[in-house]
Amino acid sequence: MVESPETRDVVVIGGGPAGLAAALGARRAGAGSVLVIEREPRLGGILNQCVHDGFGLFLYKETISGPEYAERLAEDVVRERIEVETGAMVLDLAPDRVLRINSRAGYRLIKAGAVVLAMGCRERTRDMVGIPGTRPAGVLTAGSAQHMVNLQNLRVGNEAVILGSGDIGLIMARRLVFEGVKVKGVFEILPWANGLERNVRQCLMDFGIPLVLRSTVVDIRGRDRVESVVVAGVDDGLTPIPGTERVIPCDTLLLSVGLIPENELSKRAGVEISPLTGGAVVDETLMTSVPGVFSCGNVLHIHDVADWASFEGFAAGENAARFAAGRTGAGRSARVSAGPDVRYALPQTVSLGASGVAWSFRVTRPLRDVRIAVKGRSSGKVYARKKYGRILPSELQKIEVRKAVAEDLEVGVDE
Amino acid sequence: MSDLPAVDRLTCVLCPIGCELEVTTDAAGGLDVRGNQCEKGVPFAVEEVLRPKRNLATSVPVRGTADRMVSVRLSGPVPREMIFPILAEIAKLRPEAPIRRGQVLIADVLGTGVDVIATRTVLQGRSLRGNAPINAKP
Repeated sequence: MVESPETRDVVVIGGGPAGLAAALGARRAGAGSVLVIEREPRLGGILNQCVHDGFGLFLYKETISGPEYAERLAEDVVRERIEVETGAMVLDLAPDRVLRINSRAGYRLIKAGAVVLAMGCRERTRDMVGIPGTRPAGVLTAGSAQHMVNLQNLRVGNEAVILGSGDIGLIMARRLVFEGVKVKGVFEILPWANGLERNVRQCLMDFGIPLVLRSTVVDIRGRDRVESVVVAGVDDGLTPIPGTERVIPCDTLLLSVGLIPENELSKRAGVEISPLTGGAVVDETLMTSVPGVFSCGNVLHIHDVADWASFEGFAAGENAARFAAGRTGAGRSARVSAGPDVRYALPQTVSLGASGVAWSFRVTRPLRDVRIAVKGRSSGKVYARKKYGRILPSELQKIEVRKAVAEDLEVGVDE
Repeated sequence: MSDLPAVDRLTCVLCPIGCELEVTTDAAGGLDVRGNQCEKGVPFAVEEVLRPKRNLATSVPVRGTADRMVSVRLSGPVPREMIFPILAEIAKLRPEAPIRRGQVLIADVLGTGVDVIATRTVLQGRSLRGNAPINAKP
């Protein structure tokens, strides 16, 4: 059977803060036909359930809630007359940028000049962190609880324990307190909080919710419904310490134990995935290892602030539009690796001769009064160096290199 | 103000940078703030120590639409102790669609001078079913 595909200059997969920005970036960079494909009935992605404020400080220069941020971006998309397909799912993405889509209008086959991956991420589940115990109701991820409370008007329980101090868990601790749920504590296996400091203060300290570091849930008890969880301290190797167990009666356990980029489609297209980020390996234009396929937002690497996902989206969209128009500079490239105390640095490759490239990076542990340097792997030459009073693993950082890149680079603490 | 601690360490929450501020009380009873990376840090720290203010967000059930809920927040921060009294006022709300983003649902809530506003647009009817990219203006 011969199928003749429709064509679009740029197709964006995912209509959240990164995808909407990518569509706008592509349009503003001159792409004629831009299509956004969104699985949910409404644009905005995870922002729709993030009713708390604190969004938009960098993009809109004011602090607004997630739904407001989503609507404002979506209104721009409508104003720019960008084609939007909601309630549609991309079934397959081929390396030649042919997309197979299950849409409201049925099956569609689209050949894209360039594709922007903006599918976001998923939460780690109980299975992925391997918590022993029974399998009762009442164990759910923090984001699922957020969806239930904010969008479905459902009560998740009466007494909750939260495992993991990711931002969604911290936000949900406060949200549950607002709903009259008793939150008995947030337990974090690492010696530091995983979420932003402002969330620790505003969501936990304001309401007297204990944050217990170096501790984890070692058992879940209850037959039909959670009746209690057992928490224990952990040693430096993150192994529970026998004798430190404590039973906490509760009917709900929320998990805020990490996010994983949702790259099933990317893998089908043959995109190289970084084991450090769980997202695509990209160059300084945010193009993946598959020519014409770009990536941005949480599907590329986990962001702590929606604004940064959007800024990445704008850039990916602009670059996708340029690729679709045939303006590409395929040259030789250098690899960029993570050095001392740096978990990852992105982009992972860079064209030789490129200048003015900014790297995103995360550190492996909290650091004080350090200098981060971008250095040449062979020459040892310093391409950029920046001082930090304090850096936390929860904060995505940026460092810009003004000089032209002439070799493989390493981003790390300057010792 | 004898109950003030000599040193209070707090994290500025005005932006995601989260500066670590150190507030000390001097002999004259004045407050000295250190650690701020921008000029907003000083008034923030003084207010945070003397009278902390917060915004709050929640969502309320809405009538006349397939969307179950409309999210709301305050138009500005209120003294922290007002959070629960205001939540009790918001809990009484049963707004009817259509609702537009920014619409005032409770004006000057409990005399605080701030409003409870809707943070999304909710159309009448079965707005979740169509292919509308957003709830475009009703």
